[in-house]
Amino acid sequence: MKKREERLVMGKGQYADDLEFAGMAHLVFVGSPYAHALIRSINTDKAMTLPGVVRVITGQDMVQHTHPLPVQANFKKPGWTWRLANVHAMPHDKVRWYGEPVAAVVAEDEETARRAADLVEIVYDPLPATGNALEALTPESPRVYDDWEDNKQVHLKFDFGDPDKAFEMADQTLRVTYREGRVHGLPIEPRGCVAVYDGKNDALDIWGSFQTPFLARHNIAATMGMPEAKVKISAVDIGGAFGLKIHTWKENVVALASKLTGRPVKWMEPHRDFMATGPHQRDVFWEGDIAFKNDGTLLGLKAQVVHDLGVESTNKGIAALSIFPACSAPASMYKWIGMHIEGIGAVTNKSFYCAYRGYGKDKGLKFIESAINQVAKKLGMTPEAIRFKNFIQPDEFPFHQINNYVIDSGDYPATLNKAMEMVDMDGFRKKKADLEKQGRCLGIGVSTTIEPAGVAVPNCQMGGITQARVMITPDGSVEVHSDRTEIGQGAEISHATIAGNILGMDLAHIHVKKVTSDYIGQGPLSSRGAVYPASAVAKAAKLLRKKVVQCAAGLLMVEQSDVDMADGFVFSTKKPETRLSYRELADKVFFFPGPRGLDPEILKNHDHLLDVTATWYSPTTPDTGSSYTTFCVSADIAVVEVDVDTGVTDIVKYVHVHDAGTIINRQVIDGQIHGGIIQGIGEALYESLDYDDQSRLLSTSFSNYFIPTSIEAPDIEIAHLETPSPFSETGSKGMGEAPIIGSKAVILDAVEDALSGFGIRVNDSPASPEKVRQWILETQRKTKGED
Amino acid sequence: MKIPLNLTINGDTVELTVDANETLLHVLRNSASLQSVHRSCEEGECGACTVLVNNEPVNSCLVLAVSVQGASVMTAEGLVRNNEPHPIMKAFTDELGIQCGFCTPGMLMTAYALINRCEGSELTDEFIRKSLQGNLCRCTGYVNIVKAVKKAKQNKDAGYWW
Ligand code: FES
Ligand code: FES
Repeated sequence: MKKREERLVMGKGQYADDLEFAGMAHLVFVGSPYAHALIRSINTDKAMTLPGVVRVITGQDMVQHTHPLPVQANFKKPGWTWRLANVHAMPHDKVRWYGEPVAAVVAEDEETARRAADLVEIVYDPLPATGNALEALTPESPRVYDDWEDNKQVHLKFDFGDPDKAFEMADQTLRVTYREGRVHGLPIEPRGCVAVYDGKNDALDIWGSFQTPFLARHNIAATMGMPEAKVKISAVDIGGAFGLKIHTWKENVVALASKLTGRPVKWMEPHRDFMATGPHQRDVFWEGDIAFKNDGTLLGLKAQVVHDLGVESTNKGIAALSIFPACSAPASMYKWIGMHIEGIGAVTNKSFYCAYRGYGKDKGLKFIESAINQVAKKLGMTPEAIRFKNFIQPDEFPFHQINNYVIDSGDYPATLNKAMEMVDMDGFRKKKADLEKQGRCLGIGVSTTIEPAGVAVPNCQMGGITQARVMITPDGSVEVHSDRTEIGQGAEISHATIAGNILGMDLAHIHVKKVTSDYIGQGPLSSRGAVYPASAVAKAAKLLRKKVVQCAAGLLMVEQSDVDMADGFVFSTKKPETRLSYRELADKVFFFPGPRGLDPEILKNHDHLLDVTATWYSPTTPDTGSSYTTFCVSADIAVVEVDVDTGVTDIVKYVHVHDAGTIINRQVIDGQIHGGIIQGIGEALYESLDYDDQSRLLSTSFSNYFIPTSIEAPDIEIAHLETPSPFSETGSKGMGEAPIIGSKAVILDAVEDALSGFGIRVNDSPASPEKVRQWILETQRKTKGED
Repeated sequence: MKIPLNLTINGDTVELTVDANETLLHVLRNSASLQSVHRSCEEGECGACTVLVNNEPVNSCLVLAVSVQGASVMTAEGLVRNNEPHPIMKAFTDELGIQCGFCTPGMLMTAYALINRCEGSELTDEFIRKSLQGNLCRCTGYVNIVKAVKKAKQNKDAGYWW
């Protein structure tokens, strides 16, 4: 395998924007300038007169030529609310969020399409908009969907363990709240694709930045009214995804454009459109009571979380689905008696909600970390002491958590201990006290988390089941197929390492293929990569190894039990010089299989083809319903200094201890940790999607949505533990989300600790310099008022 | 209006015809087929489109092509020799200063100019971070990128460079 990374550094990436087809036309969307408005009329005459314009597609075309967007998750249940909107990929009657596409111009080149987009004349009747979940739930609020009686899309209610008993046993309870602002995952590359409709075969091929081609095919075929067998989706190099490229919706319009024009049609999303109409995340309001004993033993939680989902319409049910893990996750890595949790999802006039590193689990985990730290403060305990008191212990795995998660393995106390070894806690605490005397604000944050990974739930497209194919080609090299797109998370190198280790083959001869919709699975979402696809590849490789052994035993005329393989050779362990290279073996098996070469039984059983397609499904989910399979563990400790005059937070030290089970490639894992931590820091301190009073997005570019640059990003010290998971084929655990969860939690905790002299509760992310200043001023004003 | 434009791109002199309002980014990607020059924000904020113009890193999305008449332009493709990665590229793969790779060519060009500028002097982490702040990366958290730049500098100091 030629390393993918080498290809990319040499400028040989082929991203969506690099795709070119003969006769290709270009599509540009026209977005709504209002967050909520009736579409009175759309006049495309002027746009059509511009030379080079091929066609303008509107919501009417969508109604005429496509089906409504398909349902992706449906959990109707007595006592629960679960509503779905019935819409097409573009509206014909009403816009519901700022930037919502209302027309698409197809032209000979992108520049012409952009100019023509400005000439499409649309008359709107603006309507009052709602841009805040709590307001949207009030009876006075404008309604986002006319056929719903209110803006509540979802209301889920869960009882885990025995919540009432927990509160009866409690010495104390504490009111806890937690608010996270709205963010955008914002890969540097926006979305893009080229659709090629083949009229002769009535077939559709789409290449682009698809994180989950198998699901994309299902959803695009459904809207196009085509059999899935006629649609193929191929992922090209993807410039970052983090969950934001799972969802397909504008791609449906591109597909239709190709069909209507008979041309390959390319759409490369302008970055501002990606910000305005990309999936957004977080934006939650938690409120509840936590019950505990005076010695710090945690007992129970009764809480409610309201999500601001934005519009529901583009990925029916998938935003709502994220409320499940948000409600389940607070149990985390601690022992509890019971919890009662309610999750509410409100629709508002904002862009839709989908996955971004964490999806939903992150919300419950961050909330409970914050809540536990409040309890520790109330009891005068250190944040580490309360965790040591409540951790699930290493000898208790697999642990059936109250929320039904079957937690695989881990050593929680060792993970936190390790982090504490890396930071001189006493030294920093003393320093904090010393600096305080000089009016300086140092803060130490502590957070621990697990990462539920590899989602599989019924009634939705995240069903879990995954397929991989590993084959030896006639030239003796290996071809690996799976659903795991390479979005920069080391999918190719990890798959190659797994297959290479099992087959005794050098990485240079292993070719991990780009992902298409041909293989079943949900790709790298919910940290599935190291759980489902990696397990499927390992399983297929192990089965293939058996076949290699069978075939080689015949060809080498040795016992199967004596066959082994290494360094590209298959040999007899008794006589290592009796060996075949993979090339020789493949050549014989493919072209001269028998009868003298191979064991006749192999031929009769049709076992000689060195090609295995395997499916993999979690060993715990079928019996227990655990929606996740592996649970990576992490501990974060951060030391920050907050400048009281400017509100700026400086990260003095950052350590992260990680246990993702068996490590396949440490460099890859470290890279995921670094990236996740910096994204979490961005959320904690800078990133915020802001709106005007008409719910129009103000943060539409990198100049007013601040992701960390190399200056804000601190150096990170990492240590690993390796507690294998008994539930994945490789012992590895899904990873990549714990770092963004832990870092956001720990930085906010550290900022709060830094501001402890002011008694400020940091409860509204991001803790941006402006907000920190505001909190300080408010406190000072209050204290003055009291004086 | 079409205007003739003469440039030296990656060492080759080329004559192109461009529109008066065409950006250097557009010309490099579309007329010169140099796809390492990535397009993201198109407003000078992300650095994905960074190329060297007369050895200085610029955001090619902000530069009108006609304004650099006669200039020497270098892109990541120009660093590759005999299909071999440049030592700075090698440093990025060795240290895994790359994940999705979208920011990488632009990042490489900024780092390449930085290292060439720092002939003979030390490159501190802080200085590297300051110099790279115009190149956004959403994947790596910059940690391995900083390592890669230091490694590249070592490569250069050891005479492994071109
Ligand atoms: S595309 Fe030029 S700086 Fe972003
Ligand atoms: S590697 Fe993905 S943006 Fe830098």
